[in-house]
Amino acid sequence: MSVIQASGLRKVFRTGFLMRAVEAVKGVDLDVTEGEIFGFIGPNGAGKTTTIKMLTGLIMPTGGSASIHGIPVPAPASRKRLGFLPEGTFFHDYLTGREFLDFHARLLGVPSATRHEQIPALLERVGLPHAGDLRVRRYSKGMRQRIGLAQCLIGDPDLLILDEPMSGLDPIGRKDVRELILSLRDDGKTIFFTSHILADAEVVCDKVAIILGGEIVQHGYLDELLGQEVEGVDLVVEGISAELHDALSDEATRAVAQGSRHLFEFRDESGAEKACDRVRAEGGRIRSLVPRRRSLEDLLIRDMERKESA
Amino acid sequence: MNSPTRVWVVAQNTFREAVRDKLLYNLLLFAAAMIGSSIVLAKLHIGYDERIYRDVGLAAIAFFGVLIAIFVGINLVYREISLKTVYSMLAKPVHRWEFLVGKYLGLIILLVVEVAIMSSFFLGVLWLKDSSVTPAMFSAIFLIFVELSLITAVAIFFSSFTTPYLAGMFTVAIWIIGHLLGDLRAFGAQEGSESLRPITELLYWSLPNLDRLDIKGPAASGAVMEAGRVWFSAAYAGLYSFALLAGSVLLFQRRDFR
Repeated sequence: MSVIQASGLRKVFRTGFLMRAVEAVKGVDLDVTEGEIFGFIGPNGAGKTTTIKMLTGLIMPTGGSASIHGIPVPAPASRKRLGFLPEGTFFHDYLTGREFLDFHARLLGVPSATRHEQIPALLERVGLPHAGDLRVRRYSKGMRQRIGLAQCLIGDPDLLILDEPMSGLDPIGRKDVRELILSLRDDGKTIFFTSHILADAEVVCDKVAIILGGEIVQHGYLDELLGQEVEGVDLVVEGISAELHDALSDEATRAVAQGSRHLFEFRDESGAEKACDRVRAEGGRIRSLVPRRRSLEDLLIRDMERKESA
Repeated sequence: MNSPTRVWVVAQNTFREAVRDKLLYNLLLFAAAMIGSSIVLAKLHIGYDERIYRDVGLAAIAFFGVLIAIFVGINLVYREISLKTVYSMLAKPVHRWEFLVGKYLGLIILLVVEVAIMSSFFLGVLWLKDSSVTPAMFSAIFLIFVELSLITAVAIFFSSFTTPYLAGMFTVAIWIIGHLLGDLRAFGAQEGSESLRPITELLYWSLPNLDRLDIKGPAASGAVMEAGRVWFSAAYAGLYSFALLAGSVLLFQRRDFR
């Protein structure tokens, strides 16, 4: 069942003194189905946030149509079962974390008894059980991101739209957010999120759409888009002579010597296997042999290069 | 959940934001100092002491009330937009008009509290100096509050589409011109001012006539105020505020939050 549907969604902004028309989103089609994690991927300025703002009623579309749970956007009813985390953690910082969550719960009409149960549970879930009575202005960037996530979980929505949820977080914060997203999917939520941190997106997404210059250039299941083909093979060996290092460097696409360790990158598996045979013959040790599959980053960079050359 | 409840939630939060703003307390402190200064000023004008307590007290309530209405009012709406806190609110099933009306209602609650506090300073001075309190003074305070509500609606109108700096300038301009409309019209009606008359007439009929709401002078001099005039002036300001809020909603409805 479709949770988000968009067809030919367009946005033209008028900018500058002469009101020059800038088309930020050029006919985006989306179909996000129930229970999936959908990554909306693209570089900065690609149109991700503008699309999200059209879906959440913050920006009026110039053309096309969109619906959430079958209710046309921007009707307020379309946002009834939606939790939204805006990019940049902009919150009422004069409130304490608990007051902030209570305010948003009351906006949604969550009854008092439910609020008293939900708020401590949410603070616990996002790792802020002891910061509920601290004013948001005293929160660190990571804590703000967490309270923002708690805010969008208030009222137990079915759909979560997260705009750059991992942006600006340290590695532990990013890992926590990734795990939270995965656990929310396990709870049956549908998650639509934007990111330019592709490694994180690749770990959590079921489906992705790549947006460049306001247009979706690729979309589909992540496995299908990335394919199973091997893009290259990384080989790490120890205990080889300088002559063998030089010989293997000629065949590898990249070679690096780090003390006694030598790293080689080969185009394909057969090249790496031949190198392994030579290392063994010389009495060297193979530390690792890892086939490298196409990553989301490879895909995005290839699409960007194609678009630029076109 | 219905609209009045959402409006009330926004209003409560607006009030909470205002009372956690240090600017409000600074302005109230200055207001208290100005009202208190009437005791010293009265000593310099022997025989006019009662009049001075009333004049200075009512003027302080009106002046600091306007400062709070303009600067706190404009900030509270614009800050939601510039700090992007409005995003997480409007991405909920909240109508934009509910947000704007909630902000206005929160500011009105703030004005009620603020006028009540300043009035209690004023009445405190009168009580301390054993000066009489007349019903006209309460009418004057009530119309000050009505004027502040109207100024707040003007501030919200401008801040719904422009920067706080410009909104502040426009609102101050409306406040000043609003008190001079009678003089402007009389100027346009003079012989030799025929070319200006259409402009002065347009300003007179289109801008809020704040002089109608200003009965501080007669109230301070002990004049009796007709209840009918007070209520008519309040109804005029109420209608004007409603029209401004409706205009703000129309502008806000079309606004893109980029």
